[in-house]
Amino acid sequence: MMRSLFLFDMTFWLYLAALGLYVAYLFAKRPAMQMAPAGHPIDNLEDRDGAWATQLGQVATLVTVFGWVLNTLALTTRAFERMEHSGTFAPWSNQFEAMAYVSWAIILGYVLLEFRYRIKAVGAFVVGIGFIAMGAASLLPYRYQTAEPLVPALNSYWIYIHVSVTLTSYAAFAMAGGLGLMYLFKERAVNRGIESRFYAAFPDLETIDELGYKAIMLGFPLLAFGIILGAMWANYAWGGYWSWDPKETWSLIVWLIYGAYIHARMTRGWEGHKAAIYAIFGFLMVIFCFWGVNFLLSGLHAYA
Amino acid sequence: MNDKSDAASDVSAPRPSTSGLGWEEFSREVVDFFASIKLAMFLFIVLAMTATIGTVIQQGERPETYVQEYGEEAYRWFLRLGFTDVYHTWWFTGLLGLLCVNSLTCFYKRFPSVWRSMRHDKVSVSLSFIQGMKQQTTLALSQPKETVAEGLVRLFAEKGYRVLAKSDPGEVTVYATKGIMGRIGAHVAHLSATVIVLGGLLGSYYGFQEFGVCLEGQTYHIPRGNFDLRVDKFWIDYHENGSVKSYNSTLTVIDQGTPTMTKTITVNDPLVYKGIWFYQSSYGDAWDQIEAARINIKDKANDKILATVDLEWNKEKAVDGLPLKMKMTDFVADFAFNSTEKKVFSKTAEHANPAIRLAVDERSSVQSTPWVFYHYPDLFEIKDSAYQFEFIGYQPKKFTGLQIARNPGINMVWIGCTMLVVGMTLSSLIYHRRLWAKIIPGESGVTLHLGGTTHKSQIDFQKEFKKLTEKIQAKTSS
Repeated sequence: MMRSLFLFDMTFWLYLAALGLYVAYLFAKRPAMQMAPAGHPIDNLEDRDGAWATQLGQVATLVTVFGWVLNTLALTTRAFERMEHSGTFAPWSNQFEAMAYVSWAIILGYVLLEFRYRIKAVGAFVVGIGFIAMGAASLLPYRYQTAEPLVPALNSYWIYIHVSVTLTSYAAFAMAGGLGLMYLFKERAVNRGIESRFYAAFPDLETIDELGYKAIMLGFPLLAFGIILGAMWANYAWGGYWSWDPKETWSLIVWLIYGAYIHARMTRGWEGHKAAIYAIFGFLMVIFCFWGVNFLLSGLHAYA
Repeated sequence: MNDKSDAASDVSAPRPSTSGLGWEEFSREVVDFFASIKLAMFLFIVLAMTATIGTVIQQGERPETYVQEYGEEAYRWFLRLGFTDVYHTWWFTGLLGLLCVNSLTCFYKRFPSVWRSMRHDKVSVSLSFIQGMKQQTTLALSQPKETVAEGLVRLFAEKGYRVLAKSDPGEVTVYATKGIMGRIGAHVAHLSATVIVLGGLLGSYYGFQEFGVCLEGQTYHIPRGNFDLRVDKFWIDYHENGSVKSYNSTLTVIDQGTPTMTKTITVNDPLVYKGIWFYQSSYGDAWDQIEAARINIKDKANDKILATVDLEWNKEKAVDGLPLKMKMTDFVADFAFNSTEKKVFSKTAEHANPAIRLAVDERSSVQSTPWVFYHYPDLFEIKDSAYQFEFIGYQPKKFTGLQIARNPGINMVWIGCTMLVVGMTLSSLIYHRRLWAKIIPGESGVTLHLGGTTHKSQIDFQKEFKKLTEKIQAKTSS
């Protein structure tokens, strides 16, 4: 058994623990909520947390960061294993590694978001998606998980940049999808006038919406760059920069879907509720592009 | 990408009121329609939906395949709608064309105002304009208005803003702006769509893409480039575990009879000569030639094997101990016979029914050219001959599959792609911000009205605005 597989396994369990802690954090008591005078919400979300919530939140962050470090180690170890067994060291050369890389990017994105905006409630959603990505990877059959040598078409320096850029854009869309889901939760609470401690940890709707939009604004150019890098690679490997291969076409479809979103945001009415639903829909399309196409449609990208 | 506040200030010029539907009115309506974001969204969604068709229905297959899978009636509809080659139908190309028109019209309509705001900005605004902004605050400061104005100008400039100030009797207005490149970026990205589509069209009209099956040692004429290509060598490298690592062909370009260039191509590393690209695309077993064949020679009378010979392609061989000379002249991988033309051909490229043709010279008296089959050893028998020939094995000859392509539009596509990436990056990382400050002297000190707008990244701007306000307070109170 390869050493990296053990590390990937550990990462999986740590992400599960982190997810559990973030959910527990949401359910923890928040005495500060009652102390805030009506009509004057506390700006800093951390100030609303009680002793329990603060500690749970800190442990959750710690476990997440530790999990991410292990994830990094696992990918690095895999890179060295690849160097021994196949012609590349890109640790995203098959479906399993790609999934592990996506969850690495999602968690990194989340940690950066938490450090910058100090909103821990997002963790329950976004770390959840990172955990699911890692879990789905470990459910793959063993032969998909090992570092088999690459087929000749993949054996190129383009794999370092094309694959990583595209997968990073997927991670950004995953983040937006998680935030969209969170928006719908919070919106439901606001509409029904629910004032539980659970929702007190959530930032206001506008912030969730804006963060989701930022994630898409990051993923959108990254995906374009990834597709273009793919076209340049195809121009070297397949004899044409665009061949309407299912994977290619689906990545373009995803890009068009987010293109419509970005333009829709320019006109009013496409913020908030609609945008949240659209971000979730877009993320489902990303999942299809990433997984569905590989298993349902045949084409030039069918390497796994 | 535009925003509401800008659009609002742009339409402030009164429209000439013409009765009925004048040309002016009409052309404005047309421009508005083609530049509209609604049209852009519609095109994005429709393109995304129609593009899925080609990933679900196999493209460019033979009619039988479709009829078998979907039925005849469905196939007739596929042909009518172009579903067997969606991406080259007139309507799909039309949608792409509309997207270009859309983005170009958007550029035509909105870029001038961005350009104008880069050159000369609107400095003096009314107080109600500032107070109506999403980010706005009012501060009472104890210093004289000149000091406050100077402090503001310095602070904004420190933060990377471009600052303009205007002193009116009784009040000072300070205007600061930053990040106009975000706007420019969006327009660059819009123009890129047309550049990419034009590059694609150029490639599809003046380019070509062909596939060549080539054998080692042969020379092929490339009519499109008017030169010859010789395949010197073809080989496959393997990994330790036996899987294919790479396959390679050494090619020599022969131009006007003289070898001018030699390169070993492999997957991901093509040869380029006179704008024509040669890619290592595939390999396989040739269907019309083999390296060598193994033949058993049997005595017809007692069915005993007299000799086993290995024949090389097209080389006559005398069999030791027997009065026999043999030569292998033809090979087909999947034997078939065209009865009207009386010709043997290979039905497919698969090695489904391999057969070779021998030229047998027996005692210099009986001469025959029999076909012998790998799977059916007893099919034919040569009259007057004492022997029976059995084709028991062969070594296939590998062909190298070369993709031959020229695309004169490719550089244009890359230029468009660069514009797209640069434009999108600028427009998503940089956002356009504008701040206005009005300093009005009061009885003791001044009142500062500060307001700001952005077209996106509201929370970041909110933070920045808050920090700026705190700084102003800190600076002026000390």
